[in-house]
Amino acid sequence: MQNPYIPYPVEVTKIITEVDTKDIKTFRLKFVNPEDEEKFKYIPGQFGELSIYGKGESPIGIASSPTQRGYIEFTVQKAGVVTSALHEMEEGTLMGVRGPMGNSWPIKFLEGKNIVIVGGGFAFTTLRSLINYMIHENNRKRFGKITVIYGARNPGLLIYKDELIEWQKRDDLNINVTVDKGDATWKGREGFVPTVCKEVAPSAENAVTVICGPPIMIRFTLPVFFDLGFKKENIITSLEMRMKCGIGKCGRCNVGSKYVCKDGPVFSLAELDKLTKEY
Amino acid sequence: MAASVLKKVVIEKINEVAAVLMQKGTLIAPVKEEAGANFREIKDPKDIYLDYYNSILSPKMVFFPQMEDFVKYQLAKPKADAKIVEMNLKPAFLFGVRPCDVKSFEILDKHFYASGIIDTYWKARRDNTTIIGYAFDLDKPVDSADFYNTLGIGAADPEGSDIFIVKKDKELLLKGITKKGEALLGELSMLEKADAKDEKYFTDYVKKGKEKKTRFMKVDDKAVAKKYEDIFENNEYWTKMSDACLSCGVCTFVCPTCYCFDICDETIFGKGTRRRIWDACMFTDFTLETSGHNPRTKVSQRLRQKVCHKYSFSVRKYDVISCVGCGRCTRSCPVNIDIYSMVEEATKL
Repeated sequence: MQNPYIPYPVEVTKIITEVDTKDIKTFRLKFVNPEDEEKFKYIPGQFGELSIYGKGESPIGIASSPTQRGYIEFTVQKAGVVTSALHEMEEGTLMGVRGPMGNSWPIKFLEGKNIVIVGGGFAFTTLRSLINYMIHENNRKRFGKITVIYGARNPGLLIYKDELIEWQKRDDLNINVTVDKGDATWKGREGFVPTVCKEVAPSAENAVTVICGPPIMIRFTLPVFFDLGFKKENIITSLEMRMKCGIGKCGRCNVGSKYVCKDGPVFSLAELDKLTKEY
Repeated sequence: MAASVLKKVVIEKINEVAAVLMQKGTLIAPVKEEAGANFREIKDPKDIYLDYYNSILSPKMVFFPQMEDFVKYQLAKPKADAKIVEMNLKPAFLFGVRPCDVKSFEILDKHFYASGIIDTYWKARRDNTTIIGYAFDLDKPVDSADFYNTLGIGAADPEGSDIFIVKKDKELLLKGITKKGEALLGELSMLEKADAKDEKYFTDYVKKGKEKKTRFMKVDDKAVAKKYEDIFENNEYWTKMSDACLSCGVCTFVCPTCYCFDICDETIFGKGTRRRIWDACMFTDFTLETSGHNPRTKVSQRLRQKVCHKYSFSVRKYDVISCVGCGRCTRSCPVNIDIYSMVEEATKL
């Protein structure tokens, strides 16, 4: 029987500094034992517990897509003990990961529908996983129109900059990148995410929106989607709570009778309406 | 051979039973400590304390110890290394558990085996342990804090035990409830065969156990779950209930169905242990996120979490109230908060 509390050993093979402030980095991890990669079979929207002995564990969304083989990626903001230690690491370091955990973005539900992805700031990581999954040549035809609205406070804080450029070249992806405030070199769109959503005005017809971002962004974006005619069943988001075990055992991340780590983190607004408002 | 085995032994000879069990593996039984009885590993059969009411700490600690080491690690110097801590379990015999506590194991099974994610530590100990239940002494008064009747549990319910014991004057009657229990009884040669009178005494005792009254109110699982959903935002009720609460968490530590834990690394001079330790929803930093956000900053929110978890969330999630009415939280609370009264008051709203 698999002991769910023991991390798989992984090697940090690549570290990408994502933002000018240098406090958000993407870590590419390779499983030390190749058979562990098979056991860590994940779906976009799931997360893992990054483990550094002596520091602890931290639950982080998986930023790579299962269509990328040979490694997994996590984009991590430097914040607490574990993530700070992670930011000190160099390529070649050994660490651990447990997972995959959580329920994932509802891929089956998204199939055959037009998808509107809305992301804000650093919360774009599992959305990036979802986008890369959907636009993979084996998957693209299973999804309708894909619209992406992604914003950050300023150009230096956009993550996955190279990928954003690649995505913009594609004709099967409508990508809208915005910053709250541009700088001298910024030639793109300026404006808050909710405003841009209103301007892009994706149709609610056979559409689902997947929203992930800071609470304030979500608060102002939701009314825009209600006005566009999106039903609560078709607005999907991902919750954050303090977690430890990641497998629904340690008792701290519950919202009502749901453990965010196990029953979530992904919920539709309709599902959230049925839960207690304690998060 | 009868459908189930009944044996007996005079109480003085329990030392002999204990000696055999200690040879077969680990014997865990109530021992007398300064504050009262607790379940401990028996090193000397004389330490077994059968004249107890109930233990201070619940016997969940036998399957879910306060500390469980996962991994021993060594940091980079001279060489980073990590080794899984093996459990190396011997067969265990948990002797003298009260019926309400036996019931708590079944409730925690639901949690630790939920959604196909098996807590390997809980399972290893559960599979490895023979539970020897022990009826409350019907000649002694019920503690005023107890309310296990409310949760449908009797003072002498044998269900859930492998072997169940009732006291008959200067003897103990031991009944095999499961195959595992019967097999063990067969291996204890010092036990005497019980006669028809003993059989009747045992059956009557179990029946009389149902009539031994603790505090009681009629609680329907679904109805109380719904009630707490309805009053979740009734601040008046929750403020009143939690007014005296110190948020000390003792109720959760003595509780047989509380299972919250933390996982932490403890490092000294480059060597350390990753382990889990009991934690409690009554502590402020239990839900504190790195960002500084905390969904439960107030005592009232935390007490609400504890009560709703047991009487509402657990019903929705596992189809069972996660409380057995053992009364430990009420007995231990420094400010006399009583979960029974809280539920009683809620049902009146």
